[in-house]
Amino acid sequence: MTTATSPRQGTGSRDARRSRSSRPPGAAREERAGWLLTLPFLLLFGIFTAWPVIQSVFFSVTDITNRDLRTPFQVNFVAFEQYAKAFGDPVFRQAALNTAYFVLVGVPLTMTVALAAAVALNTGITRFRSVYRLGFYTPVITSIVAVAVVWRFLLHPDSGLVNTVLGWVGIDGPNWLGSTTWAMPSLIAMAVWRNFGTAMIIFLAGLQSVPQQLHEAAAIDGANAWQRFRNVTVPILRPTILFVSVTTAIGYLQFFEEPFVMTQGGPLNSTISASMYTYQQFSFGNYGYAAALSYLIFVVIAIVTALQFRFLSEKED
Amino acid sequence: MRRPTLLIALTTTALALSACGRDEGGSGADAAPETGEAVSTEDLSGELEVWAMGAEGEALPDLVAGFEEAYPEVSVNVTPVPWDSAHEKFVNSITAGTTPDVAMIGTTWMGEFAGMDALDPTPGSIDSSAFFEGAQGTTEVDGTSYGVPWYVETRMVYYRTDIAEAAGYDEVPTDQAGFHEMAAAMQEQEGVDWGISLQPGQTGSWQTVVPFGWSGGAELATQDAYTLDTPQMVSAVDYFGSFFTDEIADANPPEGQTEATFTDGSVPMFISGPWMMSLVEDFAAEGGEDAFGEMYDVAPVPAADGAESSSFIGGSNLGVFADTENRDAAWALVDWLTQPETQVEWYDMTSALPSVQSAWDDEALTQDEKLAKFGDALTTAQAPPSFPTWEQVAAAFDAEMEKVAKQGLSGEEALQAAQSQADSIGTGQ
Repeated sequence: MTTATSPRQGTGSRDARRSRSSRPPGAAREERAGWLLTLPFLLLFGIFTAWPVIQSVFFSVTDITNRDLRTPFQVNFVAFEQYAKAFGDPVFRQAALNTAYFVLVGVPLTMTVALAAAVALNTGITRFRSVYRLGFYTPVITSIVAVAVVWRFLLHPDSGLVNTVLGWVGIDGPNWLGSTTWAMPSLIAMAVWRNFGTAMIIFLAGLQSVPQQLHEAAAIDGANAWQRFRNVTVPILRPTILFVSVTTAIGYLQFFEEPFVMTQGGPLNSTISASMYTYQQFSFGNYGYAAALSYLIFVVIAIVTALQFRFLSEKED
Repeated sequence: MRRPTLLIALTTTALALSACGRDEGGSGADAAPETGEAVSTEDLSGELEVWAMGAEGEALPDLVAGFEEAYPEVSVNVTPVPWDSAHEKFVNSITAGTTPDVAMIGTTWMGEFAGMDALDPTPGSIDSSAFFEGAQGTTEVDGTSYGVPWYVETRMVYYRTDIAEAAGYDEVPTDQAGFHEMAAAMQEQEGVDWGISLQPGQTGSWQTVVPFGWSGGAELATQDAYTLDTPQMVSAVDYFGSFFTDEIADANPPEGQTEATFTDGSVPMFISGPWMMSLVEDFAAEGGEDAFGEMYDVAPVPAADGAESSSFIGGSNLGVFADTENRDAAWALVDWLTQPETQVEWYDMTSALPSVQSAWDDEALTQDEKLAKFGDALTTAQAPPSFPTWEQVAAAFDAEMEKVAKQGLSGEEALQAAQSQADSIGTGQ
């Protein structure tokens, strides 16, 4: 570790501007103390995060499997073969398409529902606001396993509430989780219900920062509620929308829990996700291939995030 | 939703990290001996760490008390391991060199663990011919036996005798064509929705499909390659598919309703293991039907073209890990656990069926007629190949079976797809 690039915690900004040679007495000791205090974190981070991340890059260009675990340095270098294999793997392609479907439908839907709920709570509903807020947020903090049990009941083809209600209006409901057409929409509905609460809380915070005067001024100019929302609220919420869309998209690109507990990727691989397939390959002991798949997902997340920043951030230049 | 993708890569590396600098023999490069070195049972002492899963892990401490009486100098410590995390726990401990001395090992893990050089070859003092042949086969990886079968199970046809009689059948036909006709005739009866319940693909469905193939002389593998797309297997898969195309079996059955539909007669046949006997009888008893045991029976899986019926043999093995520091005592415990009298005692405690054939002569097992039929089926039952990659190939096979059941894919196409995946996965040996 060189001290030249170290952040000088505990030294004031005035000291920081001085050259190193004329530092006040005790600064070096303080710096040492700073390093010592951060050492436990740095060690843990280095051993359990940074080093494995670097090493898994190496894994992804070898043919390592669980049969090589005892001799991890005797594996063959295969360059980008694992990555090439992923592109030709029909199940992974299906998983990638499923994940894209989930993200493209799920993210806008989650954000729309969250924003609508936030606006309703912020303006329309004044009584019991905290009760609603809690209710909408409850699914986020409920265990996925408990949620899965309830949703299975709801979606049961014969005795489920959803099909029972549809039956009252004369619609013969499908076998939601057992049909290749309806399994993914079922999971999207469940994911939206589970996750919109998080986005809603953030939107609520954003809405608090919209000055009331602007709304009043717009109202005097004759703008109706929709126009006020469209031309006053949304522009001010722009950074919030960017933040929520990026975090939601990152989460949804790692779509895993819903298919894992609800459908195990079925029927006919119609709900298997990229993360879930990676997990399967990992459990089969194909560590090199699983590492390559992980990096592919990582790269996609990076690209999607960059695109969102590009198109959603402030356009005031 | 918040599972960092990198975590998977990370765990991998962490696993390999802990193995840094360890080098205990190449991975399968040096051929293992046919049998392990001899063990001595003189003056055994020390401690044994034993891992076992599920109900076995709970009950084993009571059983091994008998072993500790026989060898007072040895103390056995049993650690129960939950099934969900068992595989991961074993792999981690093998990597880190913290394996137990003796463990219960799922039959389908043998290839993988032996491939990681983790298991000790079975010494010659243990008589391998005492076990059911199919079960002994699960311990053998690349020609060497790494452990012993501990308990076994196999799959048979469960059928409602009263509904079969109404359909004009006193017993289940042993040929596949006749069996198909019987299922269709059962479906014609009052109150019957489906002739038979068969798992329409997905995890573990190979355990239902492959016996149809074995009962037609199919072989899933040679010494060094998978052979899934043999003509015998193709006709077995087509046979399996015919139950769905003829709408005798439900391609989208409700989950977990086997006991309910069997006891109410709406689906009067299914194929499963011995544990289902107490499950259906208990279910019927809850509904006020105490004599349900007389309303159903079990029969062997039907065979093709006069071949011998051969079902799937499952269960668990006992293995000794290569890193054990008390090898003699470890094998002595394994030997003791596979004595016929111990096996009968174990059956009384857990209902786990003995892997040692002579234990089946005991009254406890002969008095139950249905159980005795399972005993007969075990003598011809087979196990899947013990290649380290079998689980993976089975998953590919299961995915194809789902297409057969739900989309009417032909046996030939399904098995070609499964075979090409098996070829690209390889045997892993």
